[in-house]
Amino acid sequence: MIRVNNLYHSYSRDEKYAVKDVSFEVKEGEVFGFLGPSGAGKSTTQAILTGLLQLQKGHVTVAGYDIKNIKNEMFNKIGMSFEQSNVYSKMSGKENLEFYRKLFDVPTRDPQELLELVGLGDKGDIKAGEYSKGMKHRLTFARSMINNPSLWFLDEPTTGLDPAIAAEIKNIIKEKNKEGVTIFLTTHNMYIADELCDRVGFIVDGELILIDSPKNLKLQYGEKFVEVEYLREKELKKESLSFVARDDIERLKEIMDHYEIQTMHTKEASLEEIFIKVTGRELA
Amino acid sequence: MKLWYSFVKELQLSSKSWYFYIELGMAVVLLLILLFVIPKESDSRRDEYLYAGDLSSDYIDLIYRGILDEDDEDGEYERVEIEVGGDMFGADLFVTDTRNIYFVDDREAVIRLAEEDKEVGIDIVLGSDGGLKYRYYLQGYESNKLRNLYMILHNNKVNFKFVDRHMDRQTVKTIEENPVVMNNRENVIPVFLTYNGSLMGLFIIAAYIFLDKQEGIITAYAVTASKVWHYLLSKIGVMMVTTMATGLIIVVPVMGLKVNYLLLMLLVIVTAFAFSSLGLVITSYYRDMMQSFGVFFIIIIAMVIPNISYFAPSWEPVWIKWFPTYHILEGFKELISRGGDTGYVLLVSGGFFVAGLLLFIFANYRFKKTLTI
Repeated sequence: MIRVNNLYHSYSRDEKYAVKDVSFEVKEGEVFGFLGPSGAGKSTTQAILTGLLQLQKGHVTVAGYDIKNIKNEMFNKIGMSFEQSNVYSKMSGKENLEFYRKLFDVPTRDPQELLELVGLGDKGDIKAGEYSKGMKHRLTFARSMINNPSLWFLDEPTTGLDPAIAAEIKNIIKEKNKEGVTIFLTTHNMYIADELCDRVGFIVDGELILIDSPKNLKLQYGEKFVEVEYLREKELKKESLSFVARDDIERLKEIMDHYEIQTMHTKEASLEEIFIKVTGRELA
Repeated sequence: MKLWYSFVKELQLSSKSWYFYIELGMAVVLLLILLFVIPKESDSRRDEYLYAGDLSSDYIDLIYRGILDEDDEDGEYERVEIEVGGDMFGADLFVTDTRNIYFVDDREAVIRLAEEDKEVGIDIVLGSDGGLKYRYYLQGYESNKLRNLYMILHNNKVNFKFVDRHMDRQTVKTIEENPVVMNNRENVIPVFLTYNGSLMGLFIIAAYIFLDKQEGIITAYAVTASKVWHYLLSKIGVMMVTTMATGLIIVVPVMGLKVNYLLLMLLVIVTAFAFSSLGLVITSYYRDMMQSFGVFFIIIIAMVIPNISYFAPSWEPVWIKWFPTYHILEGFKELISRGGDTGYVLLVSGGFFVAGLLLFIFANYRFKKTLTI
């Protein structure tokens, strides 16, 4: 669905590259997470993929279209949800969607249905300018689905949303993916990436450091330990045991057989910890 | 169809914005100025107040006959009363092409008119040599040149025959036979149409674009199956509609049916198109109004310069014709004046259409390049 080969981009058109020799591929129906701290080159890459920035060097195809000679019909296939809400503040939520649906050549979704999907069903007639930041973000998110895209670009889709709404948005993303929509997710939130993505790519200082599935990364970089708390003679004890070493496995069995377990956690590494380990950089 | 949807949406949005009503409101203000502040025909005659009561009736008759025979418009004078500081004075009024000459009955009136109403007062007396003497009551700020002119005017030190001969030798070329003279209101309309109409598009479209940039609307539009030029042209379409509306508000009540509205609208539309396109090009280089203000300011000031030659036709250097507003002013002038040069209006319209088209193509190229800015 997306193929990027040796992509370079420099805003100053010199050797100071915002994106440097980036190559990756996103398969149809996949959720691909593009992860990195602010200024890493995520948004630049996404802007090039969506035609918002002109391709300077490299080869990029999106939904079967060569980005070098971008055609408007490509946008019938793609949807884009921006990190910064960008809706007409003087138009109501419904008017915003009604207007945008007219800009596509393919069957579009009912604006009211989309508003309800993102929890704005009863706010459709209110001017978008009177929406809260989170509501505007949801409207922007809803708008990106108006043309039933088969390739969906999501830039920080849950930023600024309260946990309940964020969960709803994540469910919508999962549902769309089940329907076969390919998703290109740009975020610095590793928990969302971990939950949603089939594969993730780590980008730092414009360079793509690695690409793999969250599961593989955890297996490769995570510590295979379990931390257990139990009561022995009315005293709380705590032990960290490997679930690879035979002795530790036996010890764990013994604890479970003879003592009352209070808590037990696997010491699986989070994506954030893996990112720091691999890149040596914080995400914030 | 997408272009149409964009245009309708832009029209709806602009009708919800202040800029739209500022433009229309300004047109109404200009119309009120035209109708109630600017007189249709101005009386440029200068008032002169003379006292000749000390002269004998023969002298006075001689002076009166001289004025009636040579200068007076209808060959008659009328008896009037003039008010000076609440007091009424009788006077004989002669109306010439350039002056209203009052021969007042009382010298006090001449002095008080000079003192209280800052008018030119002249007292004519018979000198000891039997000749006429003129005493001017001035304000005190008149230049020495003027004073000297008054001094020599009546003492025969100037050989007027020589002056006349010199003037007769001058070659006078008639540039235009039977020129159509516009009244004061008609004369001002081209200026209002140019600056509140055509040129205003430059500023207003920039305001709309910067507002959209601020809200990120352009990037949202760019990832739809519509083209960027649809977005830009729909903005220009709104400019054209508002310029047409403001133009009609100003012209219809003053000119009625005496104008070729088809040609007028053509010129209004193409000039709005050209200046709006220029506005688009400029906005493509800046993030907001503050950054671009200097450029707009310089352009607006430059575009105002042809106004000088419009109101003072004797100052019309060749380079002034390089300013687009010169041709817009002249184009509107041709339309407003009866029997104007239709060919010139069409030529100007064609020129602005081509210029607007080139600017629009460049603006479209720039916007496609700078969508994320």
